[in-house]
Amino acid sequence: MRFANLAVLLVTIALCTPVRSVAQGVSYEELVRASQEPQNWLMYGGDYRSWRFSRLKQINRQDVSELRPAWIYQRSAPGEMIEDSPVVVNGIMYVVEPPSTVTALDARTGVPIWSWSPKLPKRVVAIGLHQTSRGVAVLGDTIYVGTIDAHLVALDARTGAVRWDVTLGDNKEGYAITSAPMAINGKIIVGPGGGEAGARGFIDAYDAQTGKRLWRLYTIPLPGEPGSETWGNAQILGGLAWNKGSYDPNLNTLYWGTGNPAPDYNGDARTGDNLYTCSLLAIDADTGTVKWHFQYSPHDTHDWDGVQVPILFDATVNGKPRKLLSVANRNGFYYVLDRATGEFIAGSPFIKQTWAQGLDAKGRPIIVPNTDPGFEPVLVYPSNNGGVDWVSPAYSPETKFFYVSAREMGAYFAKAKLPDKPLQVGTPLILGGAGNQYLSGDDSYGAIRALDATTGKMKWEFRLDAPAWVAPLATAGGLVFSGDDEGNFFALDAETGKALWHFRTGGSFLASDTRSSPVTYEVNGKQYVEIAAGDAFIVFDLR
Amino acid sequence: MTTLTQVFAVLTLMAALSIMTECTLAGPQAEGQELHGHNETPADLGKGKQLFEDNCAVCHGVDATGGDGPDIRKVPDTLGDDAVQNIIRRGVPGTSMPSFFDIDDAGARDIVAYLHRLNSEGPAETIKGDPSKGKEVYETSGCAACHMIAGEGGSIGPELTRIGAMRGAKNLHERLVDPAANLPKEGNVGDRGKWTLYLMFRAVTKDGQTIEGIRVGEDSFTIVLKDASGTFHALWKPGLRSLEKEPEKSLMPNFKGTLSDSQLDDLVSYLAGLKGAQ
Repeated sequence: MRFANLAVLLVTIALCTPVRSVAQGVSYEELVRASQEPQNWLMYGGDYRSWRFSRLKQINRQDVSELRPAWIYQRSAPGEMIEDSPVVVNGIMYVVEPPSTVTALDARTGVPIWSWSPKLPKRVVAIGLHQTSRGVAVLGDTIYVGTIDAHLVALDARTGAVRWDVTLGDNKEGYAITSAPMAINGKIIVGPGGGEAGARGFIDAYDAQTGKRLWRLYTIPLPGEPGSETWGNAQILGGLAWNKGSYDPNLNTLYWGTGNPAPDYNGDARTGDNLYTCSLLAIDADTGTVKWHFQYSPHDTHDWDGVQVPILFDATVNGKPRKLLSVANRNGFYYVLDRATGEFIAGSPFIKQTWAQGLDAKGRPIIVPNTDPGFEPVLVYPSNNGGVDWVSPAYSPETKFFYVSAREMGAYFAKAKLPDKPLQVGTPLILGGAGNQYLSGDDSYGAIRALDATTGKMKWEFRLDAPAWVAPLATAGGLVFSGDDEGNFFALDAETGKALWHFRTGGSFLASDTRSSPVTYEVNGKQYVEIAAGDAFIVFDLR
Repeated sequence: MTTLTQVFAVLTLMAALSIMTECTLAGPQAEGQELHGHNETPADLGKGKQLFEDNCAVCHGVDATGGDGPDIRKVPDTLGDDAVQNIIRRGVPGTSMPSFFDIDDAGARDIVAYLHRLNSEGPAETIKGDPSKGKEVYETSGCAACHMIAGEGGSIGPELTRIGAMRGAKNLHERLVDPAANLPKEGNVGDRGKWTLYLMFRAVTKDGQTIEGIRVGEDSFTIVLKDASGTFHALWKPGLRSLEKEPEKSLMPNFKGTLSDSQLDDLVSYLAGLKGAQ
């Protein structure tokens, strides 16, 4: 009879234990272990290390040639290009349709469940950025999104109802959020864009439950503050941290990149390094204070924002195990740093670049004379979109390669004269312009490149017809997925770079580029791969 | 599109640029609109005409009244010379108007001066040669095997129905004696920028077959070539043994040796008169 009692007890316990559902939400601990839940894609970048790597291997080298479209979701309203990388939680996909509409879809069938759009002002100031969003964050049963008029909004994951809505900055000053936010323990981290309007850059942390601001870290100083001596006598403007960063929970450190100083292209007045623009900041996640910084491009005049997503990985360097961080920067250099100390370990170009002889022992570029924009245009490689713009890299722990969608393109850089009156924040402070192309289009190209993550040495490349805007996605199936500018979505062998599959999505590169980043997930034991191209979110599976 | 609509479209583009662009635009300069005097010397106008016909006419028409691109005769008066020079050098992002950074400041000024002239006086071109003799040269030189005029002829090379509205005489002459030089470019095709049209390629397949033709389409995986017989070949690039550009070659023969100078002049004057349905 004891056995029967025990059985009744066990059954009772089993029935009372809640079944996992969206209602339960995603805990912080789950986010820390995101890579161990490959059926979900829990954040922009896949996990806090931003590896964009999935352990799923149902789709692999042997069967990827059988990949076929499973469903398509066409966006509900016309707008600028989709740059979203979706989040998938327990069979629900959360996408963002430009500019800031969050839509929940059934991830197996593509059937929409709910959609939420902010009420935007009649005229949104969007200078130097596209009215689009790169994605949401999830924590608990709440979805977090940044809007194009610089609000951070918390939505109920089941219904899209607004839990709270806070304003980060005045859109009339140029502030806009295009980044996916990051959710850590009880906090939502996000930074707005607006550097071309001369807005002052910052990174914010908000209480995930209430929306109360916990801290704000400005990326550039006020006059008189430390770092202001690196701006000459000029107005201190810019440094927007408009892309998502990475996070090390053990070191409790956020790694976030900052954008360029304003005005673009003409640095005559802002003499000096212009701290802390075009830099990587290592930030204490509790207090928002900077532990260390590394500046990629001191005194930038080429619009080479340093907001590229860093990959966090551990590896042996000179026989010693190190905690590393690496970035393929817009300025054309691949950097490897110690993420605990900020020490520069290695750096070398990953594309053709003509502006630096190299990096010194501290990683500072040794500038080639006459490569700053002139009143007469100066030809420099790379163009202002750089070796890679905001598009994320990927890292595979199996190949130990760093994958980047590289842009091989030069441009003529020109500057315009500074006006006599002070620069007005909220207006275009793009003084001069860099034509993105000088040579015939046939002389520029893109490539998916695999670099040895520790040294930056190129292992293979797969050439693309034009420089592209789609992040690579690496999987344990031995694949790297990415896209090209003409709307192809394709899979390469992660070891060799050989093309194994491609599908022409037809995303027109004139009106609606293929600029999103693919993700992969599993529902009911079936693996899916997603890409947005043109006006469509397309999901593929094996038949 | 009426002239007014075209000008409005350009103005709207300029306004849109000031709140949208990722890369190009001199903000303050676009707003200050000064009308410069039209006292350019004849030499500047000559250079301006040449630059205009080499670079602008293909889309905007030899007389700037428009074609694939809008009528731009009044644009310097409406936007100001500085703004138009900026557009010439930096293009209009998001449209087919490419940047012409290879035209320097002086060249851009010359083009704008020529535009003023076209607006006030219309084109002043006297083309030597006899167009009716030129028509005979066209008919006896095999041109119709590859080119179509008003529905008659072949479709290997470009259609010539409106070629006189798109290309100036000097340009037409160059085409005949050096067809592979200065191939036309398609502007601002995404990140490809100016994409060369009619570029010859030579592909060798895995089993050793050679295919030579002009590129009509390409992406990272596929190139589509049209060969001399007008057949399309869609080739899977990763599977080719080799794929080479042949910038010196053209499917069109070179008529330097075959036609005399006066025959070439006549042919050019015939082609220059082909302006399509008015």
